[in-house]
Amino acid sequence: MRINLVWKEYDVLVVGSGGAGSNAAETASDMGASVLLVTKDPLSASDTKISEGIATVRGSGSEDDSENALSENLQLAGGDLPDINITSAFAKDSQKAYDKVRANGLRPKISAITNNPDPLPLPMGGHTKRRSIGHKNSGVAFGHANWNSIVKDTKIDYKEDCWLIDVITETNKDDTKSVVGALIYDAQCGEILAVVCASVVVASGGLSTIYFPKTDTMRGNTGDSYAIAARAGAELVDMEQIQFLPFCLTSPPAFEGLLGGEPVTASYLGVLRDKNKKVILDGVYLRTRAECSAAIMKAVEDGRGTKNGGAYLDMTANKRAPKSGVYFMNFLKGSLPSAYNNVRQAMSKSESQCDDLWEVRPSAHYMMGGIRVDENCRSIGGSNGLRNRGISGLFAAGQAMGGLFGANRLGSTSLTEGAVFGQRAGKSAALHAQKSVINLLNKKLFIEKAKRVHSLIGQKGHLHASKIKLTVQKKCWENLGPIRDKRRLTNTKLFIRKTKKQLKNINISNRTKWNQALIEYLELENMLDTAELMAIAALERDGSLGGHVRSDCPNISLFSKPYSTVARFFGNDAHVTRLQRKQTDFKKLIKFKFEEQKKFLGAKFLRLMPMRLKDNILEKRYKKIMNIQKSSITVQPGSVEAAIGDQKIL
Amino acid sequence: MTIKNVRDRQYLNVTIITHLDGKDIPVKFKYKKRHDREKPMALDILLQAQETSLPDLAFRYGCRARNCGVCTIDINGLPRIACRSVVRENDNLKAMSTLPVITDLVVKRDQISRQLRGKIYRNSGGNDLNVDASEDYHELTSCIECYACLHNCPMHEKNNVELNESRERYKYGNPFSLLKLQAIVLDPVSSNQQKDDAVTQAVKLGLDTCLNCPGCKCGIGIDLKGKVVDPLVNASKKIEE
Ligand SMILES: Cc1cc2nc3c(=O)[nH]c(=O)nc-3n(C[C@H](O)[C@H](O)[C@H](O)COP(=O)(O)OP(=O)(O)OC[C@H]3O[C@@H](n4cnc5c(N)ncnc54)[C@H](O)[C@@H]3O)c2cc1C
Ligand code: SF4
Ligand code: SF4
Ligand code: FES
Repeated sequence: MRINLVWKEYDVLVVGSGGAGSNAAETASDMGASVLLVTKDPLSASDTKISEGIATVRGSGSEDDSENALSENLQLAGGDLPDINITSAFAKDSQKAYDKVRANGLRPKISAITNNPDPLPLPMGGHTKRRSIGHKNSGVAFGHANWNSIVKDTKIDYKEDCWLIDVITETNKDDTKSVVGALIYDAQCGEILAVVCASVVVASGGLSTIYFPKTDTMRGNTGDSYAIAARAGAELVDMEQIQFLPFCLTSPPAFEGLLGGEPVTASYLGVLRDKNKKVILDGVYLRTRAECSAAIMKAVEDGRGTKNGGAYLDMTANKRAPKSGVYFMNFLKGSLPSAYNNVRQAMSKSESQCDDLWEVRPSAHYMMGGIRVDENCRSIGGSNGLRNRGISGLFAAGQAMGGLFGANRLGSTSLTEGAVFGQRAGKSAALHAQKSVINLLNKKLFIEKAKRVHSLIGQKGHLHASKIKLTVQKKCWENLGPIRDKRRLTNTKLFIRKTKKQLKNINISNRTKWNQALIEYLELENMLDTAELMAIAALERDGSLGGHVRSDCPNISLFSKPYSTVARFFGNDAHVTRLQRKQTDFKKLIKFKFEEQKKFLGAKFLRLMPMRLKDNILEKRYKKIMNIQKSSITVQPGSVEAAIGDQKIL
Repeated sequence: MTIKNVRDRQYLNVTIITHLDGKDIPVKFKYKKRHDREKPMALDILLQAQETSLPDLAFRYGCRARNCGVCTIDINGLPRIACRSVVRENDNLKAMSTLPVITDLVVKRDQISRQLRGKIYRNSGGNDLNVDASEDYHELTSCIECYACLHNCPMHEKNNVELNESRERYKYGNPFSLLKLQAIVLDPVSSNQQKDDAVTQAVKLGLDTCLNCPGCKCGIGIDLKGKVVDPLVNASKKIEE
């Protein structure tokens, strides 16, 4: 069946209208480039819009918050996998980039003392400084600012309901590759757009939907960014590193996968227990998300998991303390009100009041790896990270890019990532387009690729992409999820190969306008390509590190020589190599480890103290937090209270 | 308890009105509850339908948590946010009636944003950003853009909302577009000129329709009449003088 091919010409194509895409489009357009922004969800509907709305802004809490300090926090948390040029760029630009979002209508609370936006009262986990700014209406406030940045003037053309299918490249005489444009399925109009452009910014988010419903992210995270870039020949880094949130809900279906709590809200006495109520992790409030997720999944592995394949989060000791118990409940409700709101609706009263245990299970949240780029978001490749080994004209920003977080992402850094690297990508893309001329003889490259789509529409078969997707999601959770081993990863590879062969038997109607089967097919294909690259990266990293947990190998020590995995396609075959990374100074590593151990010991000591003693200590601690909390921000981001309109649900 | 009763408790019967090439086609669907007491949301029903008998069913959703605003459908003729609306026996699930339907439950949304293209936040650079916004400003920016408020809006009804190829803007406004304009008026960073422009835009979009209207209803409870319509109407009177 034929579908109309509609030609368009632009300097820059931006894919995605979350934080990264909006910032890229605005910046490229400000630099004089002609810009088309396409997005598969409605404008600004994205992870950015549904986030908790907490953003890292260096220096917002104290003047001594240096670029080095922030960059180092990211390095240490990320197990030395992050690219130092990228973490430095993040630290350098965070204020400037955030102010640009503010210019589009984001309005944080301003401190009367500093006359600047006021960060949350305490540093978030892994940050050594207070620098995380919360916002009323959480991510929705960012959503409005991003929406404004695209709609505000008539310079940026945008199209909703458009699925990027493939980036089109040509191979130059010296064997390097350059972007000449992209193919897009415009579901609203029932057309294929052939966009001829020198620069493509991939800002189309993450891949957590390959674990649906065990995820708290948007439906659209089907790995499109990674699959499309890899099919164009780009390298991907750290694809085994996915962040799971440990304390998500297991039922009912409408709430499955959504956030219930964070390690810090388990508070001083919170512990994790297996189905026999035996403690499997203590000092939960000091642990990283990865450590908690791993503890839960290890219990499940050993057959000690709860009914829905999770563990129990026990916060009853916090609640039972006669004096500090009241403070704890206020702390829990006040720190993560939107998560608590989920708990209140999904669990029984005694559970939500913490008189009973919560059944929790990890959920996929964020892909820390991604398209391999330099600090200006340009695709790079090879052991020295050279631009002529990447794809010239391909840029990535936001969750789509890799290299900023490595093995662990600190809280509140991604919204800033979108702004900082969105803007950098926009600038690079505009500059690149200025220098490039596209040879229109290449039209046949587009037509070749479009043939495939023509042949898909009306494809006859007995299978349905939407159903295969569900099988893939189940397999990915079991074999490529928060706990892995060689056998399961090898299985995943085989399973993907087998499923790819089934694609030709998928039934697709011959309708051109909003063909759901075609959409599901395109997304399924991206999920499979992405999962394949993740699986080979996960096989290559034969030890547990950060978000990657191998039950069949030992942990990778912080002191061993750090490397990133680099995965890519050669033709149809997936390949992986290692890329050496620079190690943080030994003295700093030892100090980091020592401080960590000290804290865990302290937490254990406190938990085992007689109730009367610890109750007094805790009361003082809570009072201190609550006091600062009162003086700085009363309504917490993400809360029902923050979404003022939400209090009066129809 | 009879066997029939047990079976009833396991299923929920609904009608999903699918839509293809301009025609509505009602389809009966039996939702299988995952446990006795489950009270499924509309989105649970649509997902299960896609999983079983209607694999190519088209509908929008994103966050499953009343944040992204894209899953709005009509349940028994009233706009509801599908991921957080409990469905009862014999309910009808259908695309929003206020926007043109593309396929099944998917409507064409982007003409609403295009209406404001080039009309908000021009030249905002250079202003002092370190000023606190009022509670009212934050109330307006809690809007999740679900378009439930388009229902029964006489101003929006003046538009021809048939599905056509053109990406032409709607001539007349709606509560959402007024909300975006009023947010500019309330933004402490806006200049007086920008505020006046916003009010003028509201008048151009047909603000006078609001004068004889009992007021609009927001899907998540924003006080549209008190915080958006009335202030704009008052400001427009002032500008006229
Ligand atoms: C519940 C939740 C809470 C969070 N809280 C925080 C927080 O408090 N602080 C923080 O810093 N981070 C937080 N995060 C993480 C953060 O929100 C995201 O990592 C970040 O917003 C990603 O931005 P992005 O622009 O890269 O992608 P997104 O915002 O996800 O945007 C992706 C865009 O790409 C489009 N797209 C995807 N595929 C295609 C395609 N094939 N063709 C066309 N368009 C496509 C989508 O429609 C969308 O517009 C949270 C995430 C979640 C899910
Ligand atoms: S008050 Fe105005 S915007 Fe609201 S429903 Fe009536 S006409 Fe529409
Ligand atoms: S004003 Fe209310 S009903 Fe209208 S789009 Fe916004 S949130 Fe939805
Ligand atoms: S799916 Fe996001 S609001 Fe319903």
